[in-house]
Amino acid sequence: MQIFAIHPFDPPGDVPALRARVRALIAGHEAGWPLEGRSNNWFTFDAAFSRVLGREGLLGMTWPKRYGGHERHPLERYVVMEELLAGGAPVGLHWIADRQTGPLLLRYGTENQRRKYLPGMAAGEIYACIGLSEPNAGSDLASVRTSARKTPEGWRVNGQKVWTSGAHRSHAALTLLRTEEGSQRNAGLSQLMIDLDTPGVTVRPIVDMTGTHHFNEIFFDDALIPLDALVGTEGEGWKQVTAELALERSGPERYLSSHALLVALIDAVGPDPAPAIAQLIGRLTAEMWTLRQMSMSTAAKLAAGDDPMVEAAIVKDLGNAFEQAMPRLVQAALDADLAANSDLSRLLTWVLLASPSFSLRGGTPEVLRGIIAKGLGLR
Amino acid sequence: MSVSRQLLTEMAEGLFGDLAGQDFTMAGPRVAEAGFAALLVPEDAGGFGGDWGDLFAVLRLAGLFALDAPLAEPIIAHHLLAQAGIAAPDGLVTIAAEGQRVPWGRHADAVVAVSGGVLSLYAADACAFDEGVSPAGEPRDAVRFTGGAVASAPCSADLLALGAFARVAQAAGALDAAFALTIGHVNDRVQFGKPLAKFQAVQQALAGFSEEAAAVNVAGQAAAAALDCGEAGFEIAAAKLRANLAIDAGVPVAHRLHGAIGFTMEYALNRFTRRLMGWHSEYGSDAFWAERLGAQVARMGGKGLWHEMTARSDRQIAPA
Repeated sequence: MQIFAIHPFDPPGDVPALRARVRALIAGHEAGWPLEGRSNNWFTFDAAFSRVLGREGLLGMTWPKRYGGHERHPLERYVVMEELLAGGAPVGLHWIADRQTGPLLLRYGTENQRRKYLPGMAAGEIYACIGLSEPNAGSDLASVRTSARKTPEGWRVNGQKVWTSGAHRSHAALTLLRTEEGSQRNAGLSQLMIDLDTPGVTVRPIVDMTGTHHFNEIFFDDALIPLDALVGTEGEGWKQVTAELALERSGPERYLSSHALLVALIDAVGPDPAPAIAQLIGRLTAEMWTLRQMSMSTAAKLAAGDDPMVEAAIVKDLGNAFEQAMPRLVQAALDADLAANSDLSRLLTWVLLASPSFSLRGGTPEVLRGIIAKGLGLR
Repeated sequence: MSVSRQLLTEMAEGLFGDLAGQDFTMAGPRVAEAGFAALLVPEDAGGFGGDWGDLFAVLRLAGLFALDAPLAEPIIAHHLLAQAGIAAPDGLVTIAAEGQRVPWGRHADAVVAVSGGVLSLYAADACAFDEGVSPAGEPRDAVRFTGGAVASAPCSADLLALGAFARVAQAAGALDAAFALTIGHVNDRVQFGKPLAKFQAVQQALAGFSEEAAAVNVAGQAAAAALDCGEAGFEIAAAKLRANLAIDAGVPVAHRLHGAIGFTMEYALNRFTRRLMGWHSEYGSDAFWAERLGAQVARMGGKGLWHEMTARSDRQIAPA
């Protein structure tokens, strides 16, 4: 049994030129970007830069032109994403819409929904968030209770979502709701695309342990949501959501969240570091290089129409472990002054504090390893 | 997979499968007869004309079946001799990388060494061996050249790196085999009234093991793809280091989940894990490759690392 056979990563077109274009965009805009936000940068918000990427045709890259997309190959999009992440660009505001919500609307959404959201998403002007977790439904997502009752006027939505990243800056939330009264577990669930300015919808901040506001609670108080906000098939919400989660696990964001720290470490120690530091840099490089190959191979399988569920879970689990271990390994190897004002100290402190979040988004290690074990034939 | 690679791997799988569990006295002659040594030698020079991806596939299978016979070293030796335009001698040719013991040295008819940009071919009667064995019981003999080379030629190959690549490929197969054995064991073995596989702690540990096996397989295949594009010092360093980390993480899990059964000489697990333990040190330890790679990266600078890494993998994309 070979658990992971490599698939050639072979995007069309001039890949080095595409990389050069993204790097030039970053170089032209990076002067004002805060240092800390260059790590974990798919959670860093910058509306101006999101619009720049939209103007440059680098959002909604794979979508049809009639919805504002650019009909590029998924692996060209992959190249752009990894360049933006490795370059420390603030891509958090549009990230979910571009990676997840837009593609899901293309797959399951109505023509009206596509026309309403996709052109703005591709322009970097409409942002989305994902309403999944609830106070009593975290890793056990099938226990969601927030309900949508169908009435002639629309869906009456009541309940609460929590840990919703970016809701305070988003226009709409693709929300998993119990649409069949009395249904259990993963039956009777549906997805609604809910505009967050709807009366009865309230977004409240949760400040995380880094002092940042990106989490939110969303309260639904008898909010009336139009009937045509249903995405896909009523009662098929679980299937739609799990397919969506499987596809988002293997992207370059799963191993690059700490990359800015590695860049700062290399620059801080200079071209001729002590052997112990050279060894640390070598080890981090070896792991990053391997993860990149694994992530690219999985992206290529997805682009070829395969369903590499086990591979995707492996990439995320190994990638999260790597990006979480990096700040600890750097801290262990250096005589670090975490209160100092150097780039390296500031990034180290920031990534140390931010790193617990890396493995809680998109499935914890325990959840991922359960998926892998099942996929590998443990009876 | 190319047709020729499929034929090659089918042949290797059949032969190595037959030889699984056989020792060198049985396996050595059969592998030599099959002609694998000419795997990388061009067709017009009488070889198979294979590429590094083919070599990865064959060596991975050798690891998967714990083949007890020289394979990687003769293939590398014949490749370098063909490149240098030196006719390969009959019999077993192995390699002497600088600072490394010579695998199967005492059984060799000739030894290829590369030093200071020069390849030298020594006949067995010019080699004095200080015999030793690997943890798996394979010959690992320190060599001293007591006579002159039969032939020599300029050579830019890094013998240590090529040996390291071979060990990554073998480790990919051996880790997959140890993983498959462990899966089989925990599915069959009943304790506390249910198969071990039903225990979440066991599932979690095995999932972690599978990730390590996956990483080595990908690293090895990616290093092969880089070798097929030309210079691959960066990729081989990264792949060997990653393989070492995976051996370190995977072998203890395989043994832990097997309990005492896996610690016997009779049960097959040790054929894989003893080899993995040995390969961990061969052709460069963690510290060696980490320092070599880290020093190289430090000279690239922070942004330079990403630029270099992407430029290297972009070599593998077919031109538009």
